Amino acid sequence: MNRQNMNTLIKDEYAFFLRERNNWSLTVGPQDLELVAHALRVLLHARTTPDFLDDYRALVACQNEDGGWSPLSSDTESTVWVSAFCGLMLIRGNRLLRHAQLTQSVQQAIDYFLDTQHQDGRWVDPAWADLDTTSHPVSFFNVVMALGETHRQQEVRHAWQQGMRFIIDNQSPDGGWYDDEFHPSGVEITAHLIQDALVADLVLDQQVSGVREACAKGAARLCDWQAQAGSWDEENVDHTMDCTRSLMLVTHILQDSHKRETIVRGLSWILDNKNDRGWGDFPGMETNLERTCDGIDTLLKYQAYSNSGTHEVVKLWGYLP
Amino acid sequence: MPSHAPAKSVWQAVCQVDELPPGERKLVTLNGVEIALFNIDGAVFAINNRCPHRKGPLIRGYTDREGGIKCPMHGWRFDLRTGQSRRPAQATTYRIKIEAGTVCLTL
Repeated sequence: MNRQNMNTLIKDEYAFFLRERNNWSLTVGPQDLELVAHALRVLLHARTTPDFLDDYRALVACQNEDGGWSPLSSDTESTVWVSAFCGLMLIRGNRLLRHAQLTQSVQQAIDYFLDTQHQDGRWVDPAWADLDTTSHPVSFFNVVMALGETHRQQEVRHAWQQGMRFIIDNQSPDGGWYDDEFHPSGVEITAHLIQDALVADLVLDQQVSGVREACAKGAARLCDWQAQAGSWDEENVDHTMDCTRSLMLVTHILQDSHKRETIVRGLSWILDNKNDRGWGDFPGMETNLERTCDGIDTLLKYQAYSNSGTHEVVKLWGYLP
Repeated sequence: MPSHAPAKSVWQAVCQVDELPPGERKLVTLNGVEIALFNIDGAVFAINNRCPHRKGPLIRGYTDREGGIKCPMHGWRFDLRTGQSRRPAQATTYRIKIEAGTVCLTL
């Protein structure tokens, strides 16, 4: 797909996403916060965050007393996965919005993650595998450190290092990360871990040993797992988007151009299997907004990957201001 | 005066048994509800196709010999007989009966 067609597609999909606003915006009522976080990420990467301050204020309004968030905005029991996703969007959004209420909310989120980490470095959420769950607070802390947030700075660094160590120590010798109960295939966890947790260390200050090797092995494993047609995990759209995005970031930072063909094949499969508007979880399934947000995010990242230097690519993950 | 007697089950035919041999699966829609049918070693099970976690399609999930189905999206496992799970939500399962070579279920 040429640059002009890609721009047109992004514009059309973004317009569709905006038309669906009542289904993802907290300003109209309670929402599924995982979907909200996906939507906020689209706004960030489409560079439209400043137009959506009310959505951010609504996210602050549904933060729980312990500093976390619940899967549903109207609930009150915090869980780690969604809290990390919300916290991450909040700190990244506030870099543009500079709002005191948001700053305070970010600090409460930091408190939540410091309070919920287990002794061995992991975070736990009953809905997700521990390795996958742990990658999200680590990713949040990556951005906390990258943006120079000073709240409980030393404790954050320590917790981040512990989380990183837990992830690296649990990598399989073949380069993948597995969870027998949640993700025996290892695809989604491996994609999440190398892009969300580990690779930021290379952009920041390379505090944790073994990250470069772990990322390179993980990326190689992801390439091995790709199907001939370009998908991952038996035509799973979500996991194919995860792998494609992950490889874009990781191989860019590692300056490994050999995996470009894998990335292009993944993107082509994603484009071939989109619906008229948006994406479903598998080819032929109805469009859902969460997958559509992932799809738009993938296109925006591919655009940066194709046109820009490393700095611009890394900025899309929040690891550079 | 309201009756407290349990409502009578309404059985509806969804497919022929020979369309669902052991090891196979089939997606059917009944009254607008997507239902995933599985034949595991000759026993037929029916479960709501949408995982209660993120609505992943269980029809594309991974079955096991213990009568479980694992969602292809994020790995939540459900007992095909009861819908029970170790995760925060359960799946809806449906009673099945086979009559004259036809698989019937009740919502």
